[in-house]
Amino acid sequence: MALEIGHSAYDFSLPGVDGKTYSLKDFADKPVLVLFFWCNHCPYVKAYEDRVIALAKEFGDRVAFVAINSNDPTQYPEDSFEKMKERAQEKGYPFPYLFDETQSVARAYQATRTPEFFVFDEERELKYHGRFDDNWEHPDQVKQEFVRDAIIALLNNEVPHYSQTPPIGCTIKWKV
Amino acid sequence: MRVELLYYPECPSHERALERLQEALQAEGVDTPVEVIRIDTQAEAEAHRFVGSPTIRINGVEIDPQPQLPYRLTCRTFVHEDGRLSPLPSLTMLRRAIRQAKEVSNDGT
Repeated sequence: MALEIGHSAYDFSLPGVDGKTYSLKDFADKPVLVLFFWCNHCPYVKAYEDRVIALAKEFGDRVAFVAINSNDPTQYPEDSFEKMKERAQEKGYPFPYLFDETQSVARAYQATRTPEFFVFDEERELKYHGRFDDNWEHPDQVKQEFVRDAIIALLNNEVPHYSQTPPIGCTIKWKV
Repeated sequence: MRVELLYYPECPSHERALERLQEALQAEGVDTPVEVIRIDTQAEAEAHRFVGSPTIRINGVEIDPQPQLPYRLTCRTFVHEDGRLSPLPSLTMLRRAIRQAKEVSNDGT
């Protein structure tokens, strides 16, 4: 079970690929926060990468997007901090890409997969949790854009139509 | 023809991969059952040379060889003809691999 709808966002202090350290207060100027668990190696992340980048660019002035990688890089070297830097630069991530080395943030949010999205309102209460949209395979056949719809609802001070969907993707790679 | 599909149950793509593989076999006129092998542990991954889910072999040959990858429990990435990255092989990739296996069989090599 992930964080319940209505739960407050947990604060964190995590290093980003840009050399800065981020916590919730760094995004306080944005009325909506989209926090998502992410990584380099997962094919579902790769399938969604361009869509997430496009959405972040579209709403970047009003919505904070924050990607967090909690995978164990000893088992999955593609998810190391160095590889995160390379991936963010290569794709031009328009959002901070943070490394949760201790996996404490993933545990606090009870995240299980990559990608997995948490959308918070201005009070930083969770209003949507789950997958990005309803078709990871064919972007041109998407019918429900869950994260986008949640953002628009919250920007209009409305309740998102969908509050939860099951995340789809790779499991978070926990340390053994 | 021996067709194997190896999968890691935590990776959600295997059911659709099996459907697509069966569709490809049918389209290529190959009537053979798919041997489905579940991989649950790292030891099994190493024993089966499993680099990620799904792994599909036809007559023992990987449809998309990725020898640089370690044996491990995860989902794997396929690059489609249009450059898209996907957790599933495309129907085109599968049909091509089946045709190649048939050609090798016909050559007797």
